Parts: sequence; structure tokens; C-alpha cells
Amino acid sequence: MADPVIEHDVVGPSSAPDDVLRVEHIAKRFGPVTALRDVNLHLKKGEVLGLLGDNGAGKSTLIKIISGFQKQDSGQMWLHGEPYQPKSVGDARAKGIDTVYQDLALIDELSVYHNLFLRRERLLKLLPLLDNRRMKREARTALDEIGIHIPRIDVSVARLSGGQRQAIAVARTVNSNADIILLDEPLAAMGAKEGAQILDLVARLKDEGRVSIIMILHNYVHVLQACDRVSMIQDGAIALDKPTAETSVEELTDIVVNEYRRAREATRAEAAATNAMPANGKTNI
Amino acid sequence: MALRERVLGLREGSIIVVTIVTAIYFSVETSSFFTSANFKTLLPYFAPYAIIAAGEVFVMILGEIDLSIGAMYLFTPFLFYKLSASWGIPLVPSVVIAMLVCTAVGLANGVAVAVIGINSFVATLGMLFTFEGLALIISHGETKSIPGAEVTHSEVSVSHIVNGHHIVLKETVNHIGTFAKIFGAGTYSELIWAVVIVIVLQVALTFTRWGLYTVAIGSNKLGAAEAGVKVKSVMIRNFVLCSLTAGLVGILEAVRAGSIQPDPAGSNEILFFAIAAGVIGGTLLTGGSGTVVGALIGALFLGILRDGLVLKGVNANYLLFYTGLAVLIAMTVNIYVQRARRGHSGGG
Repeated sequence: MADPVIEHDVVGPSSAPDDVLRVEHIAKRFGPVTALRDVNLHLKKGEVLGLLGDNGAGKSTLIKIISGFQKQDSGQMWLHGEPYQPKSVGDARAKGIDTVYQDLALIDELSVYHNLFLRRERLLKLLPLLDNRRMKREARTALDEIGIHIPRIDVSVARLSGGQRQAIAVARTVNSNADIILLDEPLAAMGAKEGAQILDLVARLKDEGRVSIIMILHNYVHVLQACDRVSMIQDGAIALDKPTAETSVEELTDIVVNEYRRAREATRAEAAATNAMPANGKTNI
Repeated sequence: MALRERVLGLREGSIIVVTIVTAIYFSVETSSFFTSANFKTLLPYFAPYAIIAAGEVFVMILGEIDLSIGAMYLFTPFLFYKLSASWGIPLVPSVVIAMLVCTAVGLANGVAVAVIGINSFVATLGMLFTFEGLALIISHGETKSIPGAEVTHSEVSVSHIVNGHHIVLKETVNHIGTFAKIFGAGTYSELIWAVVIVIVLQVALTFTRWGLYTVAIGSNKLGAAEAGVKVKSVMIRNFVLCSLTAGLVGILEAVRAGSIQPDPAGSNEILFFAIAAGVIGGTLLTGGSGTVVGALIGALFLGILRDGLVLKGVNANYLLFYTGLAVLIAMTVNIYVQRARRGHSGGG
């Protein structure tokens, strides 16, 4: 039998002195499916890292592990040089890591400002009741600051467009005072104009230098435009890790195409090996 | 126009209108509907349902259902009887212990649904049968008189003036104890319980984190979990609340009546009326939205309907039939109002 694991370059652990987050040898299986084999990743302070990879390559699983929603089977993480193992999403958030998920953790039935403050609600001073007035005011300020225009913030988010919803999800994360933000396909379901607004927002955050961002993207042009560095996941491991200045759309495309060819050949070789075996299957091995 | 928009903007808007129209109809049709005597008759027709529905709404907003409230309604007064009459525990501590048992049952429901992952309909149906069965077992199928609800009589002398002469006549006056007055037997006792519980729970639903998370879980469970909401803990808490309100109403109704019958058919009717009150009041079974005040108005609507039909002299056999039709009509109206709200009007 041919080895089903496809051979290609795997980026080993690396680090820089100003790393805020380091991820080493992370592996995760779901029953018979290996989502992550051996992932090594690092993120510098104030950096925007683009995470690329085909569907099913393991990007979302990696994000969920870093943000405390799932636990890795093996491997280690470091946050600001300290061992980092979040017990829950709340734990990760308390340590300054917050996430905007692909499946949009917005609550349709709740208003824009309740969504913005979910899990960080402002309460009245004397009673444990929600201070809606203050949340509305702060929500308006926060949205204005990052340049997101929502006409009414007291309507339920079910009434907003896909782009507006995504903008609010991003705003919620930015507003949470996290210092590491994970964005899982922030440009999905966005029109060109709204997508540009989100990329502008990321650029503004980068200029501020306060937060570090890992962003899952599909569009290579967006990656080169918005990110400092790019990491590409293939088959559960990082296949490329380069500053965006040193790579190009062509190189990124080549890696994906080569990967596809290699996978196809491997499948063919496997099929050939299977066919070469006696068809009646009576031979004892 | 503005008023219409405002009323429709309220989630309870449609049922408020339907209830007022129903009340006006019966006021016009019968001379005895709009009287204070009838108001007192009406109270037990809706106050108990309003309390149970208030708890049930918290479970329904989660997108779950609790059928075991029928059993808690039936079982809790028998447990109270056992604690108080058989084991001699004083009245108030008996109520407290009975409420603790309700809490434990709610906890079990919550764990079964939120932690083990049993469908809430199935889990609480099992609990419904189990505790209605237990009520039959501990009562030996017999009717019991409720301790603390005994009516005592005393004779008083009342002087009358008849044709210019003073005449002193002896009259019998009925007394009930303070415990009974508070726990259901006082004329307005159940109404006060209902109003207080509904206000407290509506405030909890609208103005606390607990309420916000309840809506969040019912609307988008995964999203709520990803945002860091402790989904299991909130769900368990709501099932506990639901058991508690049902158990409390069981005791209130038992004290009001003075005795309890081990009759699962009656308690199952309570169960369905409470759920109907919630649904009529604008709480969706699909979760994510609902109101406690709406459930109170839903219960009031059902109470007015039944009471009005009785006053109108409708054949008792038609009562359930008309109630059923009314529920269907009220729900149809609700759905159209809901669509209107989502479509253009600006409520929230």
C-alpha cells in the first residue's frame, strides 16, 4: 500500500523576539479525520497574519483551538512567552484573544448594541440590571470610531444585510479590548464596498499597532493587500510562511496547484497499487 | 396611525387587542360579566395559569418545552401534605422543602436536556409520567385535605335595628389562617402572587444578563456558546424556574381548594393551558422570542373566554371546542402581526 500521507514541505516551529503568540506541533483529530497534523505558527506584535488554505485544510479548526472553543490532541501554545492553554472561550477572551467566527456568532433576535456587548454587558451601578442607555451610547461611539455606518442600533440584527452583520461581528471583537484578534473569513458575504471597509478597518487597527490579527482569507489579492505575512495550511500542516512582500499571487497559486497535482498523483498511485493486487483477493499476505 | 404602530410594535400587541375585544363582547352580551363578583370568579381562571406560564415562557424562549409542569403541579401539594400532615413538619418549612424538591426535579430536567442531550419533549414527558405516578403512589389514590387550609367558624353577635327595636342575632363567621390567606386561599392571594411573579420575571427577561442569554440561546445556541455564554447553566436554571412556578401553583391551588385529588387528567389540562397561555401571548415554540407579560395576558384571555362562555350559558360540552378555535384564531393573528413587525414597523 502507498502511504496515504502526501509528502510536502512542512514549516517547522519558528519564532521572533516580539512574538505575542506561538503555536507548535498542534494536532487535532475528529474520529477518523485528521484536521491538523503538525501546525507551527507565530504572530508578532501589531502584525496582520493572513491564513490561507483550501476548504477542509484545517484553518477553522486551528482558529477554534487558539480561541479556546476546542482543545488540541497534542502540541503547545505560548502567549506572550507564557504557556497558553485556554479552558474555554471565556478564558481565552480573558487572556486577550477574541474571535469573529465564520458562522457569525451574532444573535438574530437581539439588537445591534446587545450583540456588540454580548458577554460584556454594562450594568447599572446599584442594581444588577442592564444599562441599555449606556450600551447604546458606547455602541454608537464604537461603531463611529471604526467607521461602520448602521442607521439604527436598537433593531435586531436579523434585519441587517450580510455585510452589516459581518461589520458588527468585527466591531464586537475590536471593541472587546482584545490584543489578539482572530478573523475567520471576515469578507465572506460582503459586497465590494463593505469588504473594502473591513480591510480599511484592519489597516487602521494595524496602524494603531495595538492589536495583532490572524485573518483567514480566500482571496490572494486581499492577503497581499492587507497582511504583513502569510501562512498557508495544506493537509493539516503549514506549507508556507513568508512575509507578503516576498511572495506573490503567482507563488501562492503555484503552491495550491502543485498540491492539487501531487494529491491527484498520489490518489492515482494508490488506485494503481490497489488494482495491481489480485482481483479475487484470495492471496494471503 | 401612531397608536396602531405602537400597539403592533409590542410583541403582546395582538393579544392585548384580542383580549379587550373579547372582554367587551362578553360585557355587552351578558349583564353579569362586568361586575366585581365576576372579577373574583375570574381570578382562579387565570392567575394560576399566568404563574405557570411565566416559568414555562423561560423554557419556551430557549426553544425547549417542559411538560413536567403538569406533574409538579399535581405532585408538590401531595408532597406538602406528606411533609406537613404525616411527618408533622410545620407549614412554612414544608413549603420550603417542597420547593427544594421542585428545584431538584428542574435540575434533573435541565441536566437531561442541556448536558445529556435528551430532547426536552421526551425528557420532560418521562418526568411528567414519573411524578404523576409518584403523586398517585404517595396519595394511595385518595383525596387529601390540605393542612393549614382548615376553615374555622366562630359565632359573633351582630345587632340589628328592626322596626326601631334593637335585636341581637348570632351569626357564624368563617376564618382561614394567615398561612392559607397568603398561600392561595385569600381572595386576591393568587392574583398578587401572579402579578409579582410576572413583573419580577419580565424584568429578569428584559433587563438582566440571564434574560438576554435566554433569548440568545433560543435564537442561536452555537453563536451564544461561541460568544462565551454558559449555555448549559442558563438552560438548567430555566428548567428549575419552570418546576418551581408549577410546584408553587400546585400548593396555592391546593390551599385555595382545601383539598387535593390525585387526578392526572386535571393537571394535564393545567399543563396544556399554561403552554397555550404562553403561545397565545406571543412566545414562539421555536425559541428566541417571548414575553412573560404576554403569557399573563394569554392566560387572562383564556380565563375571560371560559368565564364568559359559562356566563353566556354555553353548553359545557362546547367549552373546550370554543377554546380550541380561539387558540387557533389568536395564533393566526399573532403570526401576521409578527410578520408586520419584521416587515416595516419599528418595534424592538
